[in-house]
Amino acid sequence: MKAVTERAGPPAVHALGLAAAGAALLCASFVVPLGLFDCPLRAATGIACPTCGCTRAFHWFVRGDLAAALRASPLGTLLALACLVHALWTLARLFGLPYALKLPQPTRLLRYSTGFAILLNWAYVALS
Amino acid sequence: MLESAVLARCPSCRNTFSTDHGGRQNCPSCGKPLLVPETEPALQAEIVPESAAEPVGTPWERRAELGLLSGWLQTMQQALLEPTRLFASARLDRGADQLGFAVLTSSVFSIIGQLLNLLLSSNSDALMQQLLQMTPNDSPMAPWIKSQIQAAQHPSLARTLLPLLAAPVIAVVFTYLNAAVTHGVAVLIGQAKRGFPATFAACTYATAPLALAAIPACGSIIGVVWLIVLTGVGMKVTHRISSGGAAATALVPYLLCCCLVAIGGVAGGALIVKALGMQQ
Repeated sequence: MKAVTERAGPPAVHALGLAAAGAALLCASFVVPLGLFDCPLRAATGIACPTCGCTRAFHWFVRGDLAAALRASPLGTLLALACLVHALWTLARLFGLPYALKLPQPTRLLRYSTGFAILLNWAYVALS
Repeated sequence: MLESAVLARCPSCRNTFSTDHGGRQNCPSCGKPLLVPETEPALQAEIVPESAAEPVGTPWERRAELGLLSGWLQTMQQALLEPTRLFASARLDRGADQLGFAVLTSSVFSIIGQLLNLLLSSNSDALMQQLLQMTPNDSPMAPWIKSQIQAAQHPSLARTLLPLLAAPVIAVVFTYLNAAVTHGVAVLIGQAKRGFPATFAACTYATAPLALAAIPACGSIIGVVWLIVLTGVGMKVTHRISSGGAAATALVPYLLCCCLVAIGGVAGGALIVKALGMQQ
């Protein structure tokens, strides 16, 4: 547990703001219907953009259909999960939990891995 | 007890804070424990004299001495005309103040813009009717446009007040989403030299041009373009990075959401073509 958490006081203003933004994204996914807009890049060229599938991933994630969310966009699903975990954890810290989630240092390996994951996700969305 | 207040830098979050005593204490920003040396602060790497280390703060951050209105006006003036000076003076430990500036500026002028739009709603009704005629009946957009036309024809107090009351909440969410995506891109391309507070300072003061949202129609578009430019300037100054790196961190997030911009552009262009066609 020590590897991913650390002792901390109440959440700072940025932690609260980011949690609110994440919660707002998840709540909006309940309300906004799918298919309201088509991606113009995909409509014009047939090629998906790097963020294609994220709206659908959030839409299915908040409805509990993880398989459909992962099919739509694996990274979008991971992002939705991160928003949920951060929002819930910050709420728990507000109520006295003395631990914060420890973020990894952005090493070169981590940055390259993230870039590669985004490219892989894009390829998956484009080919599916 | 130290002879005078000094600034200590937290080794975990890199934020600086003022303290008048040494020894073990918790960082007021991230809450982690740290050790502030008691003796010879000049020789310690973690302790620096206040005047040399910390910027004085923007006029908004010094509004207690300048006055609320004067602080806001001076910050707006610097953001629009001398952005480098403004961003260089921003303190990274004043996130709540910076959020207050962004929320106040963007929500107040957004509310003024919405009220002006209500006064000039006859023209927007005609635009919505044209948009409905151009939209296929099976499009998911059609019910939404119909509901907007109905709402305009039968205005209610709740429908009028809700967007006005929601403006500050939307401003908070937009500010943090914008800062989070910009910082994510900055981390990914190795340009986040001074942590999230530096990105946040750049993104919050860059909302100053959103005052143009009070001007109906074109004001918001010009405001957003100006905001992107200011975000780039802010990232360059607050993170102390190159112009190219700053431009990339400011532009990539908007490239990702260009879908929405493109949809707006296509819809607007189609409306203009349709309107011109009708006149001929």
